[in-house]
Amino acid sequence: MPQLLIYLIQAVVLCLVVITGFAYLTWLERKLIARFQVRIGPNRAGPFGLLQPAADAVKAMFKEEYIPGHVDKFVYVLAPMLALAPALIVWAVIPIAKGVPAMGDVNIGFLWILAITGVESFGVILAGWSSNNNYSLLGALRSAAQMISYEIPLGLFLVSIAMLGGTFSLVELVETPRAPWEWIWIWIAFPFFFTSILAETNRSPFDLPETENELVAGFFTEYGGMKFSMFMMAEYINMITTSTVVSTLFFGGWQGPLADRYIWLGPVYLFIKVLALLFLFIWIRASISRPRFDQLMRFNWKFMIPAGLVYLTVSAVITVFLK
Amino acid sequence: MPLLNVSPVDRLYETLPNLDDISIPARAPQPDGETEDTQAIAAAFGARILAAGLQHDLPFVHVAPADLRDLVTWLRDGELAYTTLIDITAVDLSELPDPDPDVRFQTVYLLRSLARHKALFIVCPLPGGDDAEAPSLAGQFPGAIWPEREVMDLMGIRFADHPDPRRILMPAAWPNHPLRKDVPLGGEDVPFSLTWDHPEFDGLGDQILDPESLPPDLPPGMNRQNMILNMGPHHPSTHGVLRLVVELDGERVVNVDPDLGYLHSGFEKTGEHRRYKDFVYYTDRMDYLSAMNNNLGYVLAVEGMLDLEIPARAQAIRVIMSEMQRIASHLFWLSTHVLDISGNGMSLLMYATRERERILDLFEMVCGARLTTSYIRIGGVWKDLPEAFLGALSEFCDLFPGRIDEYRDLVKDSPIWRTRLEGIGLVGREDALAMGLTGPMLRGSGVDWDLRRDQPYSGYEQYEFDVPTSDRGDGFGRYEIRMEEMRQSVRIIRQALDRLPDGLYRSDDRKVNPPPRTELDTSMESLIHHFKLFTEGFKVPPGMYYHGIEASKGELGFFIYSDGSGKPYRLHVRGPSFNNLYAISGMSRGLMLSDIITNIGSIDIVLGEVDR
Repeated sequence: MPQLLIYLIQAVVLCLVVITGFAYLTWLERKLIARFQVRIGPNRAGPFGLLQPAADAVKAMFKEEYIPGHVDKFVYVLAPMLALAPALIVWAVIPIAKGVPAMGDVNIGFLWILAITGVESFGVILAGWSSNNNYSLLGALRSAAQMISYEIPLGLFLVSIAMLGGTFSLVELVETPRAPWEWIWIWIAFPFFFTSILAETNRSPFDLPETENELVAGFFTEYGGMKFSMFMMAEYINMITTSTVVSTLFFGGWQGPLADRYIWLGPVYLFIKVLALLFLFIWIRASISRPRFDQLMRFNWKFMIPAGLVYLTVSAVITVFLK
Repeated sequence: MPLLNVSPVDRLYETLPNLDDISIPARAPQPDGETEDTQAIAAAFGARILAAGLQHDLPFVHVAPADLRDLVTWLRDGELAYTTLIDITAVDLSELPDPDPDVRFQTVYLLRSLARHKALFIVCPLPGGDDAEAPSLAGQFPGAIWPEREVMDLMGIRFADHPDPRRILMPAAWPNHPLRKDVPLGGEDVPFSLTWDHPEFDGLGDQILDPESLPPDLPPGMNRQNMILNMGPHHPSTHGVLRLVVELDGERVVNVDPDLGYLHSGFEKTGEHRRYKDFVYYTDRMDYLSAMNNNLGYVLAVEGMLDLEIPARAQAIRVIMSEMQRIASHLFWLSTHVLDISGNGMSLLMYATRERERILDLFEMVCGARLTTSYIRIGGVWKDLPEAFLGALSEFCDLFPGRIDEYRDLVKDSPIWRTRLEGIGLVGREDALAMGLTGPMLRGSGVDWDLRRDQPYSGYEQYEFDVPTSDRGDGFGRYEIRMEEMRQSVRIIRQALDRLPDGLYRSDDRKVNPPPRTELDTSMESLIHHFKLFTEGFKVPPGMYYHGIEASKGELGFFIYSDGSGKPYRLHVRGPSFNNLYAISGMSRGLMLSDIITNIGSIDIVLGEVDR
């Protein structure tokens, strides 16, 4: 029983931290995008606009919970929750310091990530379907195709890295010592992996399910108020989560100078790495054009998946003969 | 500091030619004189031509409706090579003196020969009184379909064998044809409903075309329909209130049907009730992204009817303003086009807006307004350039070409940008001519035609500039053309700045332009002119006139039928966006949904001008 209570407290604290992270990620993105676009960004609420997320949260919460008459009510309400929950659940297995996973060390951490991110697309698809709107439906169809397709290269690269590390547990993976050449080989996969992540999280330039220029707002056209905010939360928390996963897989997670000795340094290093990756997300959003949907799919099937297969094969050879 | 407003003291107060000896209202006179073309037409058609000759130096041919198609086909295919139909309009003659109860309407066609730099007007009086019928030219020129629908809608003239006889601007259930003279300006009952039972809503989301893509044998009990997507009128990328009914098979476009008229403001009807000088302010609101060009097109049409001499300085100022406006309009096109196509457009939108702001600041400097400038007036411009303007403008000219490179670097070599544009929205050369496309749309299909160079107005013949063309016919070609046009505009502005002549900034013809305020205190004659101008305006000799200019989106033309009074009897605007938008269906069929957005941006429409 006390163990359960500890888990509960851990979960609540983790959710609070991640949701605060989401709030300030929106602030960071608005500030950064504004600087990229010769603007200033939010600067009214609090110093440097730092209270803007709080103002937005209050606004979203006090908006009327309006449900349009033509939607499938149950699924319509369920969808934002389905989108948000997996983004938070993935966090459970991520190591934040030496030997300390966020929730618990499971020996199938990789599979956990793959399985949970697979569920994410349900929220989007159901949102589009239940909205009973052509734009939403098109957005959902795009999303379904895109997320499922890009899960394949994502999985291929994940498996390769797990194979190289010889473990399915993220906690152990971070602590596995690696030779320098091995790091280089892993970093070769980073651009591919990051591209898949962009598509998987529906981030620009792969934000085709919600392209405002074609589909108004894509799958969440009919959503407003808190339910809309939940989709936004899901998107941004996904960004944080995937950045954490990427830094765990490619950049040693919590590792850094002296992190072995002072455990509290682990989360600090992780935070810095995650911040750098988030900056990359935002930078890409400000500077790369969006492809057309069929071009996106062609890119996946004709380039990403073959590249993933080649990488997997070579990794297997390396694992067998060189390690 | 010298008073900028003062004009020479020894002025000649001449009256406008031939205006004192006509009765008002008057019909447009029959054309007289002849040109090579009217001679050739008269020789070929003989007695079938009702009249041919010149009016206000423009060639007019009057022909009966039965002979219209023969004549147009002969003109198009024969030696005269009038390959493009630029405009169709109609005049309701019922309020002119000596009305003929049988011939209430006449249609007016403007054909243009791009190879020979000639324009020809065909006037076709329609028998049948209120229920007139004209032959449709859709078989000869596909570009006639929309202008004919417009005439049909607003004037109530039927077109025989028209492929698509629906109303285009007004709602289907509208009770009258607003441009007819017996329809009052405002005050009529407006049929409008918010209930879904209203017949207006019956057609929403209908199949607009037989779905050819339907698989022939479906299993029993299965039924597949293509999706109908209503894009607009409220949609982020339709540049205003355009509604596109899109039929989709998956994401593939089966057909597109534009629904216009959501921004129809009846400018033409309004213009018939405003004195000539008072309509300048309305032209701003048509293509609200290039107000200066609209001003210029309108005042050139009126000045052409008046045979008014414009001082050289005013002409140079007009060229500067027009080119600045072209840059501003193209910047807005670039930013929204990139925004529509790609997510990173917001960055380019902000960069381009930064430069557009500078242009708008310069406009503000000369006339106090940024968007609806009304700066170019009949007879010249409103006020002379302020002293700080020239320095600020040449500073902008130094800065801007580098900024164009910056935009280009942001998009041009990006493989994503190229794949989004290359081969998308193809318009062939012949199609472009037949559809009456103008501006970058026409040049993007490999037709080397620019009114500024080929039929110069406002002193454009003095400037040296290139007309970029592209044989690609796709969105990328049009993108390159508009980028190059911005550079050429800077070039023209530089030349105009270098040799900006001194002198009057507006005509000192007191019959058209009011005298300066300082003169009113000392000169009785000035006071009278002032009073007459502001109470009844100036009168324009009777006749028909058309003037087209190369606006940023294509040929912007104003057709005026004057009855000799102070107001136009009929004012028609040929908006380039309207004719160019017709191409959207053909450009988009068979492509993906995203490409429709690309094509809208590539055509560069402004709905204020499409709907007018």
